[in-house]
Amino acid sequence: MFKEYFSIAWRSVVAHKIRALLTTLGVVIGVSSVILLLSLGNSAKAEAANQIRAIGSNLIIVRVTDRNGVLPTIWLDELKDSGKLAAYSEIISGNTSYVVNGQNFDVSVSGVNQDYGFVSSLELTSGRFLSQIDLDNNLPVVVIGPKVAEKLFPLTDAVGETMVIQGVQFRVIGILTERGTNFNGDLDATAYIPIDFAGTLFPYRLNSKTYYLASETEDTVATSMRKIESYLTSVLPSANEFNVFSQSQILGVMNTLMGLLTTLLAGIASISLIVGGIGIMNIMLVTVRERTREIGVRKALGAKRSQILIQFLIEAVIITTLGGLIGLGVSYVGAAIIQYLSDFKVTVGLDSVFLSLIFSITIGVVFGIYPANKASQLEPVDALRYE
Amino acid sequence: MLTLSNVTKHYKMGDSVVRALDGISLTIDEGDFTAIVGPSGSGKSTLMNIIGCLDIVTDGEYVLNQIPIKKYEEDELAEIRNKQIGFVFQQFNLLPSFSALENVMMPMTYARVPKKQREKIAAEILTKVGLGDRMDHKPTELSGGQQQRVSIARALANNPAIILADEPTGALDQKTGKEVLDLLTQLNKQGKTVIVITHDVGVAAYASRILTIRDGKIVDDSRKEADHV
Ligand SMILES: Nc1ncnc2c1ncn2[C@@H]1O[C@H](COP(=O)(O)OP(=O)(O)OP(=O)(O)O)[C@@H](O)[C@H]1O
Ligand SMILES: [Mg+2]
Repeated sequence: MFKEYFSIAWRSVVAHKIRALLTTLGVVIGVSSVILLLSLGNSAKAEAANQIRAIGSNLIIVRVTDRNGVLPTIWLDELKDSGKLAAYSEIISGNTSYVVNGQNFDVSVSGVNQDYGFVSSLELTSGRFLSQIDLDNNLPVVVIGPKVAEKLFPLTDAVGETMVIQGVQFRVIGILTERGTNFNGDLDATAYIPIDFAGTLFPYRLNSKTYYLASETEDTVATSMRKIESYLTSVLPSANEFNVFSQSQILGVMNTLMGLLTTLLAGIASISLIVGGIGIMNIMLVTVRERTREIGVRKALGAKRSQILIQFLIEAVIITTLGGLIGLGVSYVGAAIIQYLSDFKVTVGLDSVFLSLIFSITIGVVFGIYPANKASQLEPVDALRYE
Repeated sequence: MLTLSNVTKHYKMGDSVVRALDGISLTIDEGDFTAIVGPSGSGKSTLMNIIGCLDIVTDGEYVLNQIPIKKYEEDELAEIRNKQIGFVFQQFNLLPSFSALENVMMPMTYARVPKKQREKIAAEILTKVGLGDRMDHKPTELSGGQQQRVSIARALANNPAIILADEPTGALDQKTGKEVLDLLTQLNKQGKTVIVITHDVGVAAYASRILTIRDGKIVDDSRKEADHV
């Protein structure tokens, strides 16, 4: 029986193709903007998750303000086993600036130890990272990000060349792979030098110390953090003087914020779905009025209330579902265009297909029920007399 | 077949009451060909709506095939209309976007006849009314007389006992009108109870019984042998 209703409703829609198409435009716009925004949000989240993985999900960052100098230099070595730490490096950062082709080029310079490469999951395209020997002998060597290599040594292989940082000459020993940008800034415009050099180049940072640590696995991150926190609480005069956070915590917060933003935007976009729904309701009311006589004839010939109701409800749902499908197509095209223009990978997933179908069917039912009910309530005698 | 006892139908128009039917009592037997005549506004269509279960009485009793109609709900009335009564309207009332065949199939859809069977029956009936070669035509592609024959075919779809026609020739010229009336006569001969509403005495002449109503009352009830040619 459902097939019959569907075919009756389908015929009416086909008989008014253009009208159905125009009517459903609101749903098309609503569905495509909601789907696009959700896809953008999901892609951004996926991107963030990729960054976590790239940087290392077992990364912990510790910031300590040690005004009184009570922190032993080897404190982390003491915690290494009990705190399940795989490796760590203190980091002292500063900025240096170059002029390339008349333009300023800022490089973030970080003093680290030989383990930093492991802690931060750095990979190299050529050369090597800082070694124990570099650190022990405090050699003036530097590992640079790909942008630095490209800007300062556009024509030659940078490895083996010399660059000047804060007036000191450094020999380039390695070039890092491309990592893109995150909340720490451009990860490709960086340079890593032995930590003691950094201490002399950027002496104002000496009171506050930053450490990058790698917990043994992702699952031991919490244990490591607890251990470090309790140690620092016992050593330092005030808990305000340190903070310990994990990379995944930061990205988790970012994710939550991004999710919130996405939901908010999608929520705003879904207003257009409601507007589209009202359009459907409006046109269905017109349709019912126009087809009063048809309704009268159908009732005279034996259609029950429920049958008239279902016929018009299905008609509304067909129109909105068409809108949903077109909207889905539009969001695929939109995603492709965004990807083409911005290099940002946007994928409209299978869940979006379901979502758009659910949205459009719901809109059809919610806004079609009133006109359909109106049609079903018509008295056959009055409907037949209607001109 | 059907019996009306002291049936009244009143319409409230503001403060005044229109007595469209005012104490109608009549019995129509199975196989009758009855014409209901009367001047405009006399209550003919109102009576047809009552007999066709499109409307219910204000007062009195209407019994159709032993079923007292008054106490039925709208959905039950719909089912009675669907199974027991075939309507033929003055304006044909065919659905414009559906073919002749589909129009004839429609009452069977509501009777939940399977599609294959619906198509077969509809094609048979259309052939019977002489439109075997017009089944796929839309109403606008048919002449008035052909459209009315499609609507008679539609009235026959669920094989009802009663054919109820309100001014079936009202929109047709004399010749096509006669064809339609001949068709109704033929159906009557095959056992259908036919009730025709008309102003036209010429049309009424086809019937074996003529009921005249005026101001909602039956003023004349005459039977005769249908001896037209
Ligand atoms: N829905 C209604 N509301 C109020 N009055 C009505 C309604 N339907 C019919 N009437 C009145 O009832 C009376 C009978 O109307 P009906 O339509 O039965 O006449 P009729 O004999 O079919 O006339 P015609 O030959 O012109 O079709 C008329 O006075 C009409 O105005
Ligand atoms: Mg009338």
